[in-house]
Amino acid sequence: MKEILYYTWGAIVSFVVAFSVGITYMGLNRKITARVQNRYGPPWYQNFIDVIKLYSKKTSIHHGVMHHMGPAFIMVTAVVSLLVIPILNGNKFFPNLNFQGDLIFLLYIMVFGPLGMALGAGQTGNPNSAIGVTRGLSQMAGFEIPWVMALVALMIQYKTTSIVDLMNVQVESGRWLMFSSPFAFLAAVMAMLGMFRYAPFDIVGAPQELASGPMSENGGKYLFVMMSAGSVFTFAKLTLYVDIFMGGADNLIILVVKTFTLYLIPMLYGITSPRYRTEQSVRWFWGWPSFFGLLAILQAALF
Amino acid sequence: MNMIYILFTLMFGGAILTFLAHKVSGLLRDTLFVLTVLASTVLFYTKIHTGDTVDFSISGLSLQWGINAYGRIFSMIVLGLGVMASFYSVSYMKGKERLGYFYFNFLISLMSMMGILMSHDLVSFFIFWEMMTWSSYFIVIYNGKNVQRSGINYIIFSALGAYAMLMAIVMVYAHTQSLMIPDMMQAFPFFPAAYKIWLPILFLTAFTVKAAMMPLHVWAPDAYADSPMAYTSVFSGALSKMGIYGMIMVFVTMVNYLPDDTWFRETIAWLGAITAIMATLWAIAQDDARKLLAWSSVAQLGYIITGVAVGTPLAMLSALFLSVMHALFKATLFMAVGAIEKQTGTTKFTEVTGLIRKMPWTFISSLLAIIGLAGIPPLGGFVGKWMLYESLINSNHYILVIAIFFASTSAFLYCYKFLFGFFLGQEEKEWEHVKEAPALMVLPMIIMATLLLVFGVFPGIVLKPIDLGMQTLGYSTTAGTFWSMSGLFNEWGNQIMMRPLAYAIGGTFLFFLIILTVKGFKETRYVTTKDISSSGEVPLEHENLTFSEGFYQPFLRAVCPVMKRRMMTYYQGFGQGMEAFFDYLRRVYSGNGQTYAIYVIVFVVILLLFKNSLFG
Repeated sequence: MKEILYYTWGAIVSFVVAFSVGITYMGLNRKITARVQNRYGPPWYQNFIDVIKLYSKKTSIHHGVMHHMGPAFIMVTAVVSLLVIPILNGNKFFPNLNFQGDLIFLLYIMVFGPLGMALGAGQTGNPNSAIGVTRGLSQMAGFEIPWVMALVALMIQYKTTSIVDLMNVQVESGRWLMFSSPFAFLAAVMAMLGMFRYAPFDIVGAPQELASGPMSENGGKYLFVMMSAGSVFTFAKLTLYVDIFMGGADNLIILVVKTFTLYLIPMLYGITSPRYRTEQSVRWFWGWPSFFGLLAILQAALF
Repeated sequence: MNMIYILFTLMFGGAILTFLAHKVSGLLRDTLFVLTVLASTVLFYTKIHTGDTVDFSISGLSLQWGINAYGRIFSMIVLGLGVMASFYSVSYMKGKERLGYFYFNFLISLMSMMGILMSHDLVSFFIFWEMMTWSSYFIVIYNGKNVQRSGINYIIFSALGAYAMLMAIVMVYAHTQSLMIPDMMQAFPFFPAAYKIWLPILFLTAFTVKAAMMPLHVWAPDAYADSPMAYTSVFSGALSKMGIYGMIMVFVTMVNYLPDDTWFRETIAWLGAITAIMATLWAIAQDDARKLLAWSSVAQLGYIITGVAVGTPLAMLSALFLSVMHALFKATLFMAVGAIEKQTGTTKFTEVTGLIRKMPWTFISSLLAIIGLAGIPPLGGFVGKWMLYESLINSNHYILVIAIFFASTSAFLYCYKFLFGFFLGQEEKEWEHVKEAPALMVLPMIIMATLLLVFGVFPGIVLKPIDLGMQTLGYSTTAGTFWSMSGLFNEWGNQIMMRPLAYAIGGTFLFFLIILTVKGFKETRYVTTKDISSSGEVPLEHENLTFSEGFYQPFLRAVCPVMKRRMMTYYQGFGQGMEAFFDYLRRVYSGNGQTYAIYVIVFVVILLLFKNSLFG
């Protein structure tokens, strides 16, 4: 019982941190995008305002049980992956479950939510939602290949599938994995572009084309939960990258600096790119990113 | 009399009685059918113990039946699925024709599968194997649909496998003068080198036909799709596992003794992986649920074959665990398709939509089964997949693990297609009258879906008998080193604990579900799926905007180069070539008396010319 309370407390604390950091990042994204496009843009705290607005709005309709449950599914992915990913080195301040799960578990729990939300989106009956979902799943089949290649390369090089072990390797050697396994890092970062779904890979939401895709027909409390899950998940993914490639972080400030630096990659790449078609996007991931993934596996297997 | 005799007498007698009862009354027939399956299951689990054997001899051949711990793993699948499918069939087959014929073959195929698991000699193994093939063939052609295509394909490939097995059995008998399987295993290391290569190849030909491994898989999609869904759950869930049962025995007893077994293992493992990838892509392209699930079965067996071929203790554990899980979730899904077919009369995604509110229980069980199939925690499929990946990574199969992962990620695409196509999307007037399937059909699905969840959180329940079976095959115990009641470990000592993770998943889900429900409970009301705004337009009553045509077209465009070649075209080309060749040979019979006279003269001249060398 005490253990459960302990982990619940850890979940709440990590959730609050991840939520505020993630939502700030999204606000900064809007601001930076605007400045690049020579607009003034909304203030950096605009997304806080949006979330509060969504929460306080009255939700008057839903399209059925699956639609109602969809946002809860996506929240499971966000929270459970946050629980399994160690936030700081040595598991300081944030108790979590990383000794119960590993990288392969993480890979699979990361698709739990999107699939659940896809079911919710399916029940709305809006054709745009279903089209967005098929695009998203196709793209996932694309970017998972270089991403798994990068992870497999790390696993075989350091003979572990646990995130904590990978962090310890970096702490002990004093060398980040992004320098000792550069190809794996390249493949993983290219896969990250697809994971974050900014342009040119924004085929799922596809503004001006699919009317926000799976998100359409959602408002009020549903969109509130989805948006919070999105920001928590953003933070979780960035923390995972920092953990396995950039040596983790000793305190929150270093973590924020590292994650934001990483976050700039998909953001800036997106601002300066148009949109791919679905098959182009899928094939893009099977091209150079997978080639780097193969190089990473070769490097890990041979050296 | 020995209990093993009674078991077979019961099953065979039950089959005949059911067949005869069909003439008397439908109720009697259904009761006898279900009772036979139930009674033999109860008998098997209460009276027949691991290690029981019975010896007898027929015309000088000494034969032996018995059950060991390894056979027990598969008997769990056969009898468990048998019970579920028998209850389901009674309701599903109601009102169809020739039910005596169907139930007779159903029972015979259950009996022959038990026979395969209990044969300790090659002759009864072969006979039961053939009985299984024939009984399932009769059910494949029961519907009378595509008999040419699905029926003939199935029986030709099965015959190919059976001949290969027969040849192997004759080779073994010629060399050892014994038909007992243990004798063959003991003698195998001392066989001549050519035998050592050919025996596993011949046996594997027979077994991989049933397990539908590429290139011998072409019968599977049609045969699975065309048999009645009540039987397909057994066909895909249990009957195909007989191929896995045989393959594991071949790999453990024969391939281990090959002088250089690596290439052998790698070839089969890669064939399994290619089967998984290609079948997944074909499943994505299907618009008929039965075809989709049939291809998906082929793909899932591809993973299992890879696990068997790799053969490390962890890989073998995962293959056996996935076999049990595949039986559970694929049977559930085939049953769900059967339920939908019964209630709506179609299985095409393009025709039927929006059933979620009409068939909620079917939806829930298919949802759980799909989560299990996709390998998403905390359901059973994840445990099997986790062990498979870890075993591949730990045994240095780096590219293979990527291939398997690709197949498994692409599987999400057809998983979503299945759920969306039937249950989600806009509701139509045409399907307004549809009701939930009868309780007898829904209950088996729900039971199996629940079992998937239980086995996912406590995999130890299934891994315990599997571990005992693997000890029979000569593996040392894996309990504690690779698994505990709800924990899994790999060779590097990393671990995963299913129970706390399942609690975390369930807790988070419930928490946010409660928040979503409680907040504004009174204000939020249900509106139909027609009440949407698609780009500012509200669809009219008669308009259906469900997206079901060309569902994954962009993805299929991306992968089209690999889907251009099909195994079937090669077989057809081979068939046409043979036809042309024999057509040419046929010209010998010209129908002209003078030509035949020349043949006779030429024959006599040859005889005279070579008289000395032929008869001298």
